[in-house]
Amino acid sequence: MDNPLITEPLFHIGPVPIAEPVLVNWALMAVLGLGSALLTRRLSRTPSTAQTVAELFVSTIDGQISDTMNRDPAPYRGLIGSIFLFVLVANWSSLIPGIEPPTAHLETDAALALIVFVATVLYGIKNKGLRGYLATFAEPSWVMIPLNIVEQITRTFSLIVRLFGNVMSGVFVIGIVLSLAGLFLPIPLMALDLLTGAVQAYIFAVLATVFIGSAVGEGHAAPSMQKDPSHG
Amino acid sequence: MTIDWWTLGLQTVNALVLIWLLGRYLFGPVSAIIAERRAAAQADLDKAAAELEAARAAHSAAEATRDDVARQRADMLAAAQTEADAERTRLLAAAADEAAETRARTQSQIAQMQQTARAEISAEAAKLAANIARKALARLPDDILVAPFADGLTDAIAALPELARDRIGQDGPVTLRTARALTAAEETLIRQALSRALGRDIALTLLADASLIAGLELDAPTATVRNHLAADLTRIEAELAAHD
Repeated sequence: MDNPLITEPLFHIGPVPIAEPVLVNWALMAVLGLGSALLTRRLSRTPSTAQTVAELFVSTIDGQISDTMNRDPAPYRGLIGSIFLFVLVANWSSLIPGIEPPTAHLETDAALALIVFVATVLYGIKNKGLRGYLATFAEPSWVMIPLNIVEQITRTFSLIVRLFGNVMSGVFVIGIVLSLAGLFLPIPLMALDLLTGAVQAYIFAVLATVFIGSAVGEGHAAPSMQKDPSHG
Repeated sequence: MTIDWWTLGLQTVNALVLIWLLGRYLFGPVSAIIAERRAAAQADLDKAAAELEAARAAHSAAEATRDDVARQRADMLAAAQTEADAERTRLLAAAADEAAETRARTQSQIAQMQQTARAEISAEAAKLAANIARKALARLPDDILVAPFADGLTDAIAALPELARDRIGQDGPVTLRTARALTAAEETLIRQALSRALGRDIALTLLADASLIAGLELDAPTATVRNHLAADLTRIEAELAAHD
């Protein structure tokens, strides 16, 4: 097994080295993009089974965002939902023989964490303005400014390390067991890896939601997500 | 541990592109159809609520109309009842009046019939009495038909007021009706009795009248003096009628 901490390029396009995670990521993008386009090609008010599953997925994402941020989920749905779906599919791509999940490589997790970090800053500035967003670093006191800045960086790193460590370790353990014990023995570990992958995708998405929610501040529930008092 | 910055950059770009792709082809359309269905459901709920409200309004209007109809019916029934009571009272009063009138008319007719019957009976009785008297007198001698009544006649003349008695025979001829033609002796006897009663002689015209049955009657222009059975029977009949 290769060292998971080192990403070896498979080929180069000009000066750009193309590593395996990038190729797998492209494949996942193609699958998810085409699948989404096919799924949403004929949406109707009387949904098919696939549409029902898609609507349930989107509604669940919306509910999670609303519960966490107490805001209208629409502006954050695409980012949070895409991160969750990508991390989930990327983690589960390890089930395909010969495929190593992109999230088992530090660059992919770092890219996702970087996007979350930038999105947190941008959403914070968008909702509070530059001055208002910067003022949040002085809460509850200006003494906390260095610590808040460090927190912004460390929690981004925590995102990277948590996802990378869990997925990479799972892949690594399966590889070791496979090389030592035989063909069928890693199957329970692969099943466990499925659960771990789903949990990690959920954790990554929820933490991204929490970070963005803390940046945009306390909001009001979206009208569409408010519970109707008359319905209990 | 090393980081391949090219890979990091490419994965960042890839992630951004994927976020755009999924937002464009998955989350956007699906959330749009969810919102569309929710809006349609809300529209249906609003429409149902509006129809429910309209139905409630129609129900209220129908109830108001029903109450109004019931009230009008009750008013009409009460008016009809009042009118019927008034009509019944009027009819009862009219019937009572008519019955009273009929009863009074009937009683009057009965009284009249009874009076007529009594009058007829009295007339019949008088006629019967006259016949009886006439038949009874027919069995007696003719002497008692006139002469025995002469004293009664003179008594009656004596009972007349003096002025009336004095006028008899002075204003014209006096007719003396008798039940049968007088004999000469009877005529003399009666003339003498009248002369004593009047205090003078008067001229007499003698006239036999069987309707007197028995007795005699002095008929002057100023007075008539009767002493015969026909007059007695007539008086008795009149007294009987007056007594009834």
